[in-house]
Formats: sequence, structure tokens, C-alpha cells
Amino acid sequence: MIQEKLYLKGDKLLDIYGYEFKAIKNALKLGRENTIKKVKESELKGRGGAGFPTGIKWEMAADIKAEQKFIVCNGDEGEPGTFKDRYLLEERPLKVLEGIMIAAYAVGADKAYIYIRGEYSKAIDVFLKTIEAARKEKILDDYFEGSDFKLELKLIRGAGAYVCGDETSLINSIEGKRGRSRIKPPYPIEKGLYNQPTVVNNVESLCCTAEILNPDSEEFSQLGIKGSRGTKLLCLSGDLNKPGLYEVEFASVTLKEIIYDLGGGLKEGENLRFVIPGGISTAIIKSENLDFPYSYQDFEKRGNSLGSGAVIAVSKKHDLLDLMLNVSRFYMDETCGTCFPCREGNRQINKILKSFKNDGKKIDAELVSDIGNTIRLAARCGLGQSSLNFIISVIENYQTDLEIGGKLYA
Amino acid sequence: MLRTEIDGIKIDLDEKMSILEAAKKAKINIPTLCYEDGLSIYGGCRLCVVEVEGEELLKPACATEIKAGMKIKTHSKKVRELRKNLFELIIATHNIDCQLNCLTCSRASNCELKEIAEDIGVSKMRLEPIKRGDSVDNSSYAVIREPEKCISCNRCIRKCEEIQSIGIFTTANRGPETVVTTFKNRGLGNVECTNCGQCILSCPTGALHELYQKDIVLDILNDESKHVVVQTAPAVRIAISEPFSNQAGDIATGQLITALKRLGFDAVFDTNFTADLTIMEEGTELIERIKSGHRLPLFTSCSPGWIKFIEHFYPEYLDNLSSAKSPQQMFGALAKSYYAREKGIDPENIVVVSVMPCTAKKFEAKREEMAGDVDYVLTTRELASMIKSAGIDFLNLEKSEYDELLGVSSGAADIFGTTGGVMEAALRTAAEIITGTELKKIEFEKLRGLEGIKKAEIEIDGLKLKAAVANGLGNARKIMEMIKAGEEFDFIEFMACPGGCMGGGGQPISCDDNILEKRQKALYKIDKNKKLRKSHENPYIKKLYDSYLENPGSEIAHKLLHTKYKARKI
Repeated sequence: MIQEKLYLKGDKLLDIYGYEFKAIKNALKLGRENTIKKVKESELKGRGGAGFPTGIKWEMAADIKAEQKFIVCNGDEGEPGTFKDRYLLEERPLKVLEGIMIAAYAVGADKAYIYIRGEYSKAIDVFLKTIEAARKEKILDDYFEGSDFKLELKLIRGAGAYVCGDETSLINSIEGKRGRSRIKPPYPIEKGLYNQPTVVNNVESLCCTAEILNPDSEEFSQLGIKGSRGTKLLCLSGDLNKPGLYEVEFASVTLKEIIYDLGGGLKEGENLRFVIPGGISTAIIKSENLDFPYSYQDFEKRGNSLGSGAVIAVSKKHDLLDLMLNVSRFYMDETCGTCFPCREGNRQINKILKSFKNDGKKIDAELVSDIGNTIRLAARCGLGQSSLNFIISVIENYQTDLEIGGKLYA
Repeated sequence: MLRTEIDGIKIDLDEKMSILEAAKKAKINIPTLCYEDGLSIYGGCRLCVVEVEGEELLKPACATEIKAGMKIKTHSKKVRELRKNLFELIIATHNIDCQLNCLTCSRASNCELKEIAEDIGVSKMRLEPIKRGDSVDNSSYAVIREPEKCISCNRCIRKCEEIQSIGIFTTANRGPETVVTTFKNRGLGNVECTNCGQCILSCPTGALHELYQKDIVLDILNDESKHVVVQTAPAVRIAISEPFSNQAGDIATGQLITALKRLGFDAVFDTNFTADLTIMEEGTELIERIKSGHRLPLFTSCSPGWIKFIEHFYPEYLDNLSSAKSPQQMFGALAKSYYAREKGIDPENIVVVSVMPCTAKKFEAKREEMAGDVDYVLTTRELASMIKSAGIDFLNLEKSEYDELLGVSSGAADIFGTTGGVMEAALRTAAEIITGTELKKIEFEKLRGLEGIKKAEIEIDGLKLKAAVANGLGNARKIMEMIKAGEEFDFIEFMACPGGCMGGGGQPISCDDNILEKRQKALYKIDKNKKLRKSHENPYIKKLYDSYLENPGSEIAHKLLHTKYKARKI
């Protein structure tokens, strides 16, 4: 039996009076530089999906001189199959708060925003109460524990756009602008919210920093292997016996064990066809190829990504075309409409798949491949670049089942 | 210094710039669509993507700053294939079909998309056109929008917001439903559109064009019972040849007149004549206001885009506007009164057509305050199209002269076509009237050029006149804010379009580089070569006052040549 490693998932924390804020206190004791150093040494990578090293992001932001800097906690969890941030916001809001405080202290920001997905009404309620309590207790809005660190925190409710999970789109959204990506550079750490240096971190990433700085969980940074340190929250869903949220140490389990052990295997009478390893913007992995350790580098080796940690098991009972249509429809609806390859490419892919289903027309694999390449190589942001990963990987793996000829990604 | 390599060509750059700009320096053309000089970078069309060595994903040349040591391939196989695919996707949203196609398009003769297709080497179209079923927005008297052709490149949005500081367009919806529209989809006629038509000049698809009156004018020319007179604005003569020659800066006044006569107009007159008249009326107003010190600064009122702008955004300053009608409207009023009397024609049978570099003039002609002065307004583009469809070999035409009575003008009137021209023309006259002596130098160099805002202090006989000139509504807004902040002026010339009328929204769409400089040079050349260069010396203006209007600002002059404005909502 695989054992979960409980850090982020540790004790339920809702009562601010019982919470000791050990990590931020430790950070204040260590000072800014050493706090950043510790996060860098922990090799923490952004848990939102892109995997950018958090410590380096902080260091760059800390090095920039500016009157005003901002921290933004990205809780616009929109990747289908992902529900880890929701869990943290609802069940561990104080850890999230502490993570935000550490980040703000480290980079020298005195204003922070937390942007929570609009549909997460419970998370929003819980977090609003947390902010209220923290203000009352002078944890926010006042010098923390007699230090020179003070933070204001504001909650922003998302308005229901997947693209706003992208950091620059999220920043536009906070500013009241249309949710669409900004051209990078400048990166948010140079010119972000209201053109000020801004660090945008995922909810889980910030909770990890609260573990890293907490003297009670010193070993957290040593978990896993080089390049994949700490734990990862996994959102197991699909045709599994035990779907749910699990916390595992990196590289201590294989994807196969995650499915068959943690997830309790497939529901009775069903056979696994493939796994979507990190949300629908990642490529599928066939059932026979799951036996590899769960780590950043093992996914990278396979040209894949562990994405947001949404592991979806898909059994053979599903129609491949229906799945592709479902995903295609999602991306078509969610492109922000700014760049042509993403907007028009996803529209055309949806059209092609529909005509395959409804009119029995053959899919022109070369055309699909051309459009796929165009989106992947030329789209303006990560949404577009990864929007066809699922569909292309299904076609690549199941060409004969789908009666598709031709070559993909020539 | 920055050393890089583009397509194997080593170049050294002295300053930061985008890959697109650097490529231009290396004489490499990278196709662009959503990019436009002078507008912010949008990075939407992705046609300008290039390969940067060491990076898998392609980079948009417009939005990527070039760095030392970069090795860039602008036309590799990967890039070329991708551009072709991308172009297919774009064209599918342009909805070309039997009704709406390249032959009937407003950009039939100079389609930007066609040029890009050629640059990219497009050879196949695998995607069917997408029908959105959007209806045409014909709510405006000036600008029409055909959303089916729009590909959402956002150039109109940026032009309107960034250059004109208005922002009537916006992006609505998301995903493939993303469209460019007006606030609450109300239509161009129901928002704060100034009708300047700058968006038309920016639109690469023909989704925006003027409200066409060319067909109705052709019909009227066939109506024997009507006496159809035409007037041509100053900026038309220096741009009308562009659609035929594809080069800017040629003066074609004589050919223009011949072409209009061949088209069947009964009399060919010049808006220049009433430009001279405007100077007499507005100049008189200026002198009076300076003497009394009331309602200063005086604002010019000949640009109808500017008028609608101030009516919407600065209605508290409407009193500062000169009450003089624009030259177009003065002409219409005179054609149906003075000209009718002189020629013995029933004004009912006179039809006044104007050819303007302007789309806002179409709206102006419809204003209730001046209704009936001018019946139809054609843009320079519409006239070029009429000339083509009448089989007139424009470039090789013999020259003709304007008909007399309303056709003789001074050089001061010609420069109405450029930013700074109205001011200069007014000063030539005002200075001589105030001082009673002849100006030694009639060129006011400080007021020339293409800068967005020009300020000058002009001394006339001990009187110091603070003058300012603004072109483009963004600059007009800046001046208005200066005034609000307490800066003092006496006389300000405002033109809605960048460059003034010569850069108007009704002018031929750019076919050459530096068109504004070339057009401007041509206008000053016409002025310089004229013997008559001051409005008040125009003998036909003198005759008009002597025999009909009495003197500037008289009762009859007020009735015919002056108007009112109204505050509009935002």
C-alpha cells in the first residue's frame, strides 16, 4: 500500500487563534535574502502547471527596485480535473494566507491579491472569513508581530474564464480589463499589475513555501529527488474506485501505482485505456506505459508534463471521438479570441471533429496536423500552445481505431 | 552595439528594436496583418512569427525585442509552412462567398489580404468560409461596417482609441464568437463616433467603408431636369491620382476637373472658393473676439469630425467655436442662392455634390442645422471608382480650369488641406486687415509640418496672438485639457484627422510610403505657384460681397454662412 505524505494536507486549519504562523515568523527571523535562498534550495517549482522555479521568480522580483510591488495568489483553478487549490482554500486557508505573507515579505510587497475562481463559492466564503479574522488579529493590515512587515490582502472573485488562470490574463482581469494574455516580455515580475513588479504564484506553490519555511517540517525540502522536491497534490478522477485528492512524495510512486493503488484501480468491469496525467492540456499516456516514477523529469523525458496534477483515468467504455469533441469544445469556447491561431485553429478542429462524427467524413490528418502545429508553435500564450496536446495525442495513439490516415507532426 | 544575424545577414544595431524593425533594416520583408505603424503592438495575427535559433516555439517579430547574438530565420521552411496554414485559418473567417467577395469589396483594387497572400505564397485553401450571419451596420450617415468581413485584427479599435482618443469600438465575447463591435452593439450611428473614418484607413479587410453615394450621384447625373454642380475640397486634388498611379504627391487639379466634366457635372467648382470665404468670415470673427476679449480662444469649425468630438466630449466649449460654416456647407448655401440667382436657375433644380477627403462630411451634410445645403458627398475614393467605371483614362487626361464665379481661389485656400493651413490662411488675412499693410512674408513656417501639436506666438502690429494647431483627435483632446488646466490661447486650429484633411478618412488608402509628407508638399507647392495667395485678395470673393453678401458678418452672411452646434451625450 502506498502511503500518502501529509504536509499540505496536514491537519485541518481553520481557527486563526490556534494557528501559530511559524513559517512566516521563521522567514522574518531569517530575513528576506535567506528566505528566498531557502525557497531556491528547496527546488520548488510552480504547481500551477508551468513549473517555473518559485525561488528564482522571487529573487528576480526582489532584485527589482520599485515603489510598489504586488503578490498575486492564483486561485483561478480552471484546468479540467483539477481541484487541489479548491481543497486548500476551503480546508487550509491559513496555510495559503501564510504562503502569501511569506512571498510578500520575501520580495518586498505590501499589497497582495488572491484571485479565486468565481465558481468556488465555498472557497471564497472561507477565505473572506480568513481575511476578516486576520485583519482583526492584526495579522494583516498591521505590522506583523512587531516586525517591519505589513500586508494588505484583497480577494478578487474570478468571472469564469479559463484563460484567466494564465498569469498575465489574470492581471488584466484584476485591473478590470478583458481577460486576455499580455505580450511577454515584459514579464509580470518587471511590469505586472498596474505596471508594477508582480509575483503571481499558484495556491499550492504558496502552501509549499509555508512548509519549506516551517521549522516543524524541515524535511519537506528533502523529499523526492533532485529536480522534483517536496510533495504534490494529485487530483484523481475518472473511472477509478477511489477518486479524490492525494498528497504524494515526488518520485516515490509510479503513475501506475497512483492509478491502481491510490486510486483503487478501475471500476468493476472496466479496463483502462489511457491516463490524462496533468489536466486536459497534457498529452495522454497509454495504459501500458504508466510504469514510471511521478517526477518532473520523468514526464519531461516522455515529452509530457505533470501539469496541474489532475490525473484522469479513462476506461475503454468511452468513445474516443466524444472525448476529443468534449475537449475541443472546451478549448474552442475558452480561447480568449485574441490570437488567430488559437481562436481559429480550435474552431476549425472542432468543426473537423464534428463533421467526422455527424457526417462520417474522414478526418484529413494532414490538415489536423497543420492546424495543430500552427497553434502550438505560434499561439500567444500557454492556453493555445497546449490546447491540442490531448487531441493530437489521442489521434497519434489511436489512428487505426479512429480510421485516420496520414502522418501527424511530420 | 547589438550584433545579430537575420537570415544569414549579419547586422549591427545601435539601439533596442523589435525583430520586425531589425529585419526591415536588413531589407527583409516579414508579412504582418495586425501590426500598423503608430499603433500599439497587438501580437494577434501571428503572421510575423519567425524562428529564433535555440527556441522551439516561434516568436512574433513585432512583439519580440531583438537581443545580441540572436540568430533569426524569417523565412525558413517551418515558418513558411506555418504562415500558409495560418493564412488559411484567417481567410476562412473573412467569409468570401458569391455575394460578398473580392469583386464587390470596397478594397477590390488594393486588398491588403491579397498582398499578404502573395507575400506568403498561399497556394491552397482547404477550409470553408465561416458564416457568422452578422448583419451590416448601416446606422451611420458616414461609415458602414460589414462584420462578416472582419477578422478581429483590432486595428480599428487601436486607431480609434490610441490615435483619436475615442474608442467607439470594442471586442465582445470570447472564443470564436469574439467580435469587434460598438458599445452594446448599438451601431456606429448611435455611439460617440465622430465619423472621421480613420478606422477605414486602418481596416485591412474592407469591413469598414464609407456610406456610398456614388451610384445615386451617377443616377442624378443622368437626370436631365437637374442642374448638378460639384465642388472639390483642397485635399482631393493632391490625392485623386493615387489610385491610378500608386504614388503619392502628384498634383492633378486639371485632370480632376476634366474628369468631373466628363462624368457629366453641369458646373465644376472649387471648395477652395468657400475656403477663402471662410477666412473672411472666420477672420472677421477672430478680430472681433480679440478686440472684445470674449469667447477666446476661437476654435476653427471646418472639420466636422472635430465638431462632433467637441459636441460629445467638451460641450462646455461650444461657444468658442467659430460660428462660420465649413467651406463645404458655405458652398452649398451659395450654390443654391447666389449662383442660382446669377445663373437664373431655380434652386429647387440644383443638386450640390461635393468631393471630399472626408467621411464626416457625409454626416455634416445631413446635420439638421444645415440640411439642404449639400445633397451628396463623395469621398476621394468614391470619385476615383466612378472615374474608373466611366472608362476615363485619368492619368492621361488634358487639364481644365474650374468654372468661374465659385471656382477661383487663392493659395491660402489650397493649404486648408493640411494641418496648419487654415491657421496660416487666416493669419495672412487677419494680419493685413489689422495692420492695413502688406505682409512681408506670408509663409508661417512655425505652423507647418506634421507634428501633432504646434504652438506659436504671432506678433501682428504689437498684438501678440497665441496660436495653436492640432491634428488628430488625440491631439485635440490634449489641447482641450491644456485649456482646462489654464493654458491661454487666442486662436486654435483643430483637424480631426492626422495630417489634417489630406489624411482624411475618405482619402485613397495608402499605396506609397510617407504619403502625408508627399501630399503636404504638393499642397504647399500649389500655394507657392499661385499668384493669388491671400483670401481677401480673391476678386471673386470681393465680387460676392459687393454684389450679394455686403460684408463679412453681415445679416445675410450670417443667414447663409453661419451655423449652431449642439451638446451631445456620451
